[in-house]
Amino acid sequence: MEQTPTAARARALTKVYGAGAAQVRALDAVDVDVERGRYTAVMGPSGSGKSTLMHCLAGLDSVTSGDVWLGEVELSRLADRELTRLRRDAVGFVFQSFNLLPTLTALENITLPIDIAGRRPDPAWLDVVIDTVGLRDRLRHRPSELSGGQQQRVACARALASRPQIVFADEPTGNLDSRSSAEVLGFLRRSVAEFGQTIVMVTHDPVAAAYADRVLFLADGQVVGELREPTPERVRERLAATDPASV
Amino acid sequence: MLRTSLRSLAQHRLRLALTVVAVVAGVGFVTGTYLFTDSLQRAFDRLFDLRQPDVTVSRQLPGQAATGGAAGGAERTLPAALVDRIAKVPGVAAAYGVVTDGSATVMTAGGEPLARLGQRTTGTSWVPNPRLRGYDLVSGRAPIGRGEVALLASTAARAGVTVGGTVRVDTPGGVIEPTVVGLVERPIAGTDGGTLVVFDLPTARRLLLEGRAQVTSVVVAAAPGIDQQRLADRITDVLPPDARAETGRSRSADLAARLQDAFTFLSTFLLAFAGIALLVAGFLIYNTFTMLVAARTRELALLRAVGASRGQVRRAVLVEAAAVGTVAAGLGLVAGIGVSGLLRRLFEAFGVDLPGGPLVVEPRTIAVALVVGVVTTVASAYLPARRAALVPPVAAMREELELPARSLRGRTLLALLLVVAAVVLARTGLQLVDDVERAAAYLGGSAVCALVALLAGAPLVGRGALRVLGAPLTRWPVGRLARENARRNPRRTAATAAALAIGLAVMSAVAVIAASTKSSVAEVVDDTVGADFIVASANLRPFTPRAYEALAGTPGTSVVTFSRAVALTLDGTQHPVIGVEPEQFAKVFKITMAQGSFADLAFGGAVVDETTAREAHLQLGQTAHVEFLNGPGRLRIDGIYQASGAAQGFVVTLPTLAAAGSLERDTAIYVRLAPGADAATVRTALEQRLAPVGAFQVLDRTELKEQIDAQFDRVFGFVYALLALAVIVAFLGIVNTLALSVHERRREIGLLRAVGTSRHQLRVMVVLESVLVAVLGGVVGILLGVLYGALLQRVLAAQGVSTLSVPVAQLGWFVAVSAAGGLLAALWPAMTAARMNLLRAIATE
Repeated sequence: MEQTPTAARARALTKVYGAGAAQVRALDAVDVDVERGRYTAVMGPSGSGKSTLMHCLAGLDSVTSGDVWLGEVELSRLADRELTRLRRDAVGFVFQSFNLLPTLTALENITLPIDIAGRRPDPAWLDVVIDTVGLRDRLRHRPSELSGGQQQRVACARALASRPQIVFADEPTGNLDSRSSAEVLGFLRRSVAEFGQTIVMVTHDPVAAAYADRVLFLADGQVVGELREPTPERVRERLAATDPASV
Repeated sequence: MLRTSLRSLAQHRLRLALTVVAVVAGVGFVTGTYLFTDSLQRAFDRLFDLRQPDVTVSRQLPGQAATGGAAGGAERTLPAALVDRIAKVPGVAAAYGVVTDGSATVMTAGGEPLARLGQRTTGTSWVPNPRLRGYDLVSGRAPIGRGEVALLASTAARAGVTVGGTVRVDTPGGVIEPTVVGLVERPIAGTDGGTLVVFDLPTARRLLLEGRAQVTSVVVAAAPGIDQQRLADRITDVLPPDARAETGRSRSADLAARLQDAFTFLSTFLLAFAGIALLVAGFLIYNTFTMLVAARTRELALLRAVGASRGQVRRAVLVEAAAVGTVAAGLGLVAGIGVSGLLRRLFEAFGVDLPGGPLVVEPRTIAVALVVGVVTTVASAYLPARRAALVPPVAAMREELELPARSLRGRTLLALLLVVAAVVLARTGLQLVDDVERAAAYLGGSAVCALVALLAGAPLVGRGALRVLGAPLTRWPVGRLARENARRNPRRTAATAAALAIGLAVMSAVAVIAASTKSSVAEVVDDTVGADFIVASANLRPFTPRAYEALAGTPGTSVVTFSRAVALTLDGTQHPVIGVEPEQFAKVFKITMAQGSFADLAFGGAVVDETTAREAHLQLGQTAHVEFLNGPGRLRIDGIYQASGAAQGFVVTLPTLAAAGSLERDTAIYVRLAPGADAATVRTALEQRLAPVGAFQVLDRTELKEQIDAQFDRVFGFVYALLALAVIVAFLGIVNTLALSVHERRREIGLLRAVGTSRHQLRVMVVLESVLVAVLGGVVGILLGVLYGALLQRVLAAQGVSTLSVPVAQLGWFVAVSAAGGLLAALWPAMTAARMNLLRAIATE
């Protein structure tokens, strides 16, 4: 696919849940550009629409109005079959929990999207990914035999294994202790630095957000700010400015 | 707590529906069986209560109980003069002689008999008094003279004639084409599938009794105010010693008693199948509750956390089970009505016409439905309820939870013990060579032990078995996932597959016995039948010597001979007696003598098979005191032959048989080709000569085997059809398990969708898992069934099932049907999985 400065972009993206009195406007005409080869964090209080934004950008959820591009592909025009193929080939995911299939070994979980696509993994790249996450001696283990941090590293490896255009991570450290969190975040950071991976991460943890190149702040369904070269302190200040209750 | 239980029920419709389906299936089959047999019995009771002559006089056979059923028959006649003597007895209002025999075959225009094999082909004489005949004239008039008959309305309909038309009837007195002048009906429709043709008395005598001045029974109406028993006593005074006067009341009672026996057998037989279905349904219910408890662990833990005691949680699950059981039992009762209709259809499809009548719902049926429904449900829910109570309160707070895996040690021990028990029982059974019933009972016990061992041990070996069986699945990208899903919960998969295994084990055992029986018959025919053609009447009933006379001397034949059969009674047991021309018969039928020589068979003597000889303590040269149809007689034992399965009982010469009171009725004619004769030419000649005599079939050895096979196929087909119901319940179990598994794994499914699994691939995944579980159950059941079928064949070897034959192709079909059933069972769960909302699936609750 042709290289463009933005890996994903949204224009006037609006997402409305429900109807009538129960209507909730989760996203309200949001414009976003995700820069290629960069690590973008999305922050905001609960209900700010950050998860919805990620779901819409990743093709997991349909939009009410507006346009979303992933690379050069306009998502709102795609049928389910094409969206599925796009997710399989161009997108990697890391979720907060329930990230791995309990019946598969760590290695099988890592190659799952490639297997489903009916392709063979690139062994050299797989080696690089496995060594980067540091799980070589755990490949034959099932998820139940791995610690939470190890499981999440397997999930990260899976997201990278098929060399996706973009990786979406939804609160990847939400269930982890601080040491495991640091491992996972460090790994994501390195994949950007070393492999030029594009990553979008939703988080509410200023420490996690500080690993990113750029932080977007959301409140009430709108982008309310942006911070480059973040540090935990600056993220906290900024959060306090948008939503005093959160700090 | 009660309110919590009920509300929880109402909120989980899927759970409710699946459990109810499981219970309804089990209860429906059991109550359907009861409804069916009760209704049938009521119909038959009415049938025989309806009309009986006040007194019926018939020949009493030595060693036989009162006859019941159709009185008389050409073998058992009374002098016609007796009718007048009875009519003069004081208190007799009317007495009529009746001639009835089961050898009047009504045929289609094409010359085929209407009645199927085993159905009655009754011819009877018209009785003027409507109270004394078991049928009513519904149109036309009574038959008069040689050229007229009345037909049972259903017979006429099948023959395609109405009043005024002509019909072809094959009788011992020849084939006639009389005009149908009347239609009669029995008081209850569909009495049996047989045909009935009514002649006037002289015609009946001419056609059925070769014109002898005899009757087969005398029916008597009492004058007003005369008691049946008193009248019967008076009539007895004028009867010869071998005749017997029965009151209408006692005939009804006898019939009722005999029907009772028949029905006890029928309902036991059907209930055995209902039991299998119930066992299978029990698995389904147990499985469903286990999965449901697992799915609600968090909810139950929350109850514990807010202060519910273990007992309360346990009771909550049990109350839920009881409520579901009660509702489902009611629905099952309704389903039972459908099942009972299905059973009736099934019987009819296999050629058994049953009397109609209202549906009989005994209080017992309702009680059984409730007990079976509620008790099975509560019992099946008890173990899951105990597990539910063990859910720690803290489970409510955890993100993900899994109940601790229980140890399989207890199960291993149990399985091993049961395997030992199964082996011991089977060995004991196989050593009981002489007592087939007990041997079969031991084998049955062994089979039950093996099944339970299988259930207990299935989780232990199931994972390995699934790995091997599922190996071909890895070809699909999602095949591996399907296989691992089937393996992840061995208990659940085992219980689901086991339900199917039970049904298929019984089916496979039946298949092995059926195939073994058929190949044994084929072997016996090949070994013993030396005739090139065997001629029998189209409905396999005895026929007059006219057929033999027509065939004797047919060009191209070297031997034409025949056999006749009657029965004798020895020490209260009936045995067949076959009369033959020994010298000729030996050329068409191989009898291997154990003692003595077949050539020594002479007047007053008999050769007997080893089994009969052993059971009746008969020895070579000894004289046996027996009861023939015409009274006591003696038979000298001239030889003892090896039991072969083809011949059985006493073989005597024709003069001996005639002296024993046999009619001149042949059972079969055996034809041997002359050297160099063309079989097809001879067959045509035989058929041409038989055509004017009546409806006959000319069979060569292959056709003989096919005909016997066809009869076995009907019996076994019926058994398969009944077992199919249990198998269907097992497939419902697969639907249940899959639906709940899909529900439980919705987050994994969401994840799979997120990482690019298409809907189609998800469907394939669920279907493959289902097919794998079904094939596992099928293969295990078939293996077990073949094992026990083979053991049963060894037990039955002495009964003539001498060759073991495993119908590989048929068993292959069973596997294919299992797979196809698995596929069908997966359709709905697969659709649910594919349609699942992706975001809701991955969103954390």
